[in-house]
Amino acid sequence: MMLKLNPIVIYELVVTIFLAFWFLATILCQFKETKISSFIRYKIDYFNLIPLWTFFAPHPGKRDYHLLYRDKINDIDYSDWQEMEITEERTIWSWLWNPEKRDKKILSDVVQSLVSSIPSYREKAGSLNLLMFSMPYIIVLHAVSQYKKQSQNCYRQFMLAESSGYQKETAPSLILLSVFHQI
Amino acid sequence: MILLNDISQTVLIILSIGLLISTLEYLKKVQIFSPNGLLSWNVMQLKWTKQNEKSFFKPIFKLFSAPGLAALFIIRCLLIIGLLFFPLQSTTGWVLISLLGVSLLTASLVTYYGSDGSDQMSMLIIITLILCNLPAFTTGKLRDIGIWFIGLQACLSYTVAGIAKLVSAEWRSGTAIKDVFSTKTYGSKKASLLLQKYPSANRFLCWNVIVMETIFPLCLILPWQYAIVFLIWGFIFHFFTALIMGLNSFFWAFMATYPAIYFINHQMPWHLF
Repeated sequence: MMLKLNPIVIYELVVTIFLAFWFLATILCQFKETKISSFIRYKIDYFNLIPLWTFFAPHPGKRDYHLLYRDKINDIDYSDWQEMEITEERTIWSWLWNPEKRDKKILSDVVQSLVSSIPSYREKAGSLNLLMFSMPYIIVLHAVSQYKKQSQNCYRQFMLAESSGYQKETAPSLILLSVFHQI
Repeated sequence: MILLNDISQTVLIILSIGLLISTLEYLKKVQIFSPNGLLSWNVMQLKWTKQNEKSFFKPIFKLFSAPGLAALFIIRCLLIIGLLFFPLQSTTGWVLISLLGVSLLTASLVTYYGSDGSDQMSMLIIITLILCNLPAFTTGKLRDIGIWFIGLQACLSYTVAGIAKLVSAEWRSGTAIKDVFSTKTYGSKKASLLLQKYPSANRFLCWNVIVMETIFPLCLILPWQYAIVFLIWGFIFHFFTALIMGLNSFFWAFMATYPAIYFINHQMPWHLF
């Protein structure tokens, strides 16, 4: 039987093909970073429409991230480390209303992006210093630079650290210590 | 008048509750988009390095200040409320959901850090509903295809999550949930202490999640009285992840896909038994 083409049939066909491609692209972009998945994610998917459904796996997020900063007062003196308050306790209503999750997720995404890019900056780019030009680094630097300065001409350093939350048996550890930046 | 006997409409109503909460949460935290916020446009615009991309999206970029995005979120709330009064199949309903889709796509350009799987599922559902309900062009068949797409994406999400856990030594050894619950970001002190006290409960929960997520698509083909077990499990799972981990938006985004799963299950021409 011949399919009679009219605008409605054409539209139906176009949408069906689009949804089929979307589903196929979603499957291709799970699990492992391949050439095709990188192409889809970084060249086509401007709106973040291709999900990654591997929630909390294969590596469950079992560390809390901490962002601290300090200022250089003079050549030998530094201020105390101050921590950006991000991992605050949830309230009894967080199951319904949880605006605080956004800050935590942003920092967690930024730190994970930063941590995952460190090896490639070491090996491929040849110098870890180039990490300073990466987007996650600039976001973190921008975030810490907004806090009250010790002086007008201030040099600030930040530190990314991780801890094991409520489990106290593991000591907090350092992820990244920045150089001093003039802010 | 809105009727819940239509599957697409039911999907939209459940999703709307979550979207409204999520948008109000963004409104509460709108300072993250201010010049000194974590997602300040002064910094986020550095992502757009290519000149052609910059010029294409430039008109939208003007919106990405705290006041601009606050206005966008308020409009989004009004659109969601409007969708309670106009059915999806009406022209007004379709215009409202299309504008809602535009607002979600626009905001996604600045929230690529901080958005999660629930935001992606919400966007996926909204775009599918827009495409499959275009007045004058849509057919019953196309609406069904849209519902199939939503249901299949939901099943894919569970299976991928299940397989990714199955290949993880931390999940298989039964320590993963305790470890996640012990973080301040996604955990809870009480739940963490409880799981430390009862390691077998921890192992049971890990394997329960691995198995149920991996075989979740069976709910599409099993007879309904067995398939519903998966949906009840999903309801409890998402409720507790909202309660313990604070992942409230996942609950609504994934519950919105369950009517689609129900629909697919009832369309299956074959049964295992």
